[in-house]
Amino acid sequence: MSRLYLPLLLLFLLVLQGIVFNFIPNNLIQAGWMFIVHWVFIFLVLFTLFYDLEDTYYSVFFAILFGLMIDVVYTSVIGVYMFSYAIVIYFVHGLRKILHANFYVAFLLSIVSVGLVDFIIYLIYTFIGISDMGMDTYFVYRFLPTIAINLFSFIILHVMFKKKLVRWSNQRFDVKSST
Amino acid sequence: MSFFRRKRLFTILLGFIILVSLIGFSMLDRDDLSAAEEFLQDTIGWLQQIVLTPINYTTNVIDNIDDMKNVYEENKVLKQQLATYQQTLYEVQELRKENDDLMSILDKTNSLSDYQPIQATITARSPEQWFKLVTINKGKQHGVEKDMAVITGKGMIGKIQSTSQFTSTVLLLNGFDRSNRISVNVNLSEQDEDARGFILGYNEDREQLLLEFTDYYEGISEGEYVFSSGLGGVFPKGLQIGTIEEVTTDQYGLTQIAYIKPSADLYDLNHVIVVDREMPTSREIAQDPEITDEEDEENDDEIDLQDEEED
Repeated sequence: MSRLYLPLLLLFLLVLQGIVFNFIPNNLIQAGWMFIVHWVFIFLVLFTLFYDLEDTYYSVFFAILFGLMIDVVYTSVIGVYMFSYAIVIYFVHGLRKILHANFYVAFLLSIVSVGLVDFIIYLIYTFIGISDMGMDTYFVYRFLPTIAINLFSFIILHVMFKKKLVRWSNQRFDVKSST
Repeated sequence: MSFFRRKRLFTILLGFIILVSLIGFSMLDRDDLSAAEEFLQDTIGWLQQIVLTPINYTTNVIDNIDDMKNVYEENKVLKQQLATYQQTLYEVQELRKENDDLMSILDKTNSLSDYQPIQATITARSPEQWFKLVTINKGKQHGVEKDMAVITGKGMIGKIQSTSQFTSTVLLLNGFDRSNRISVNVNLSEQDEDARGFILGYNEDREQLLLEFTDYYEGISEGEYVFSSGLGGVFPKGLQIGTIEEVTTDQYGLTQIAYIKPSADLYDLNHVIVVDREMPTSREIAQDPEITDEEDEENDDEIDLQDEEED
């Protein structure tokens, strides 16, 4: 049963991402600040750290699948989110072997990876001409607010799902987790 | 170990190739979405409506309570307006009747300004703010087609970028560029003739639309209304787009340009109307050449007549 929860949760977060505009004050957006929520991605980071084993790559698979869904549903260019989500989750999965997964590691790793993902997305969109933002404007108006809002959501998601993920992982793979 | 490294490099390279080919695929000028994309958009759109319904309900209740505070003052103002409104209503009826009569004399049944409204609700806005896209809950099954104009009560907000069976994606005015120009008329209050031009795109820094006039016009003042002219072959005539903020010349000083403030609020959207124009659009004519034979003459008449009116 727990196998089904994960894609459903990710789908729910994907749906919520489209509705978040209702809760961001209009005057902030009109002033040029960009708050990009990467809830699906944050959940995937937690997923990699607390659910996946060293030799299973479910998180990378879901990163490809849900990245593609974000591309299709919310943007008009396919492949950008898919590629950047997959490659950064793969990178996090690689780091997982070296690092001990606790709250602080997860916290730092999600800052770094959200920053990396957003920067890769920025680079690709700049390259194909969808955004024409300068690097300095990007860092002030998009990078920092995006990191801030995603950190906040990381804490909420961590509190809600960390224990569940570990439990589901144990059920699924039937081993004692290291955390 | 080196085998694994080579495999990893190979995977990343393969990822790059897939990325480039997918981007290339989606940058093609496609008329329709593929079935898989349509299915995905419909499913997600449907889920979004389910989640959004209780949220909208609560915001409505809160708004209603807010409104109740101002009821007394609003009522006074509205009563005053009602007296003049009756007068206008009568005039409009008379004018409409007269217009119908005159049209029947000319054997004209439909004009460029006629349209069928399709009511829709916004279900989602793209979290990626570089794409000025919103999703609405009406699709092909409700008669929505690509390139139709989307308006609110205050004016135009954008056009349909792609449609699925039950949802469609709207490109907002602030995402317009040179590939989606709008042919517009500017209502000159001092002269009989309207100034003509094109909306070329959106200026991010000024947050205003850029209008380029096809001719040089004297005496365009700030605050004049800008309407769609319907001659671009996509939108009906007479949709309000915005008001002129500043008139200048372009960087070479050759053409006259103006900056336009959109009249609709592009950030606070909830209920919108998709505009299905009754005259065949250029896209419909291209798809179905039979229309051309029947309606071509009529179209020509249309444009000739307009010219005469303006001359």
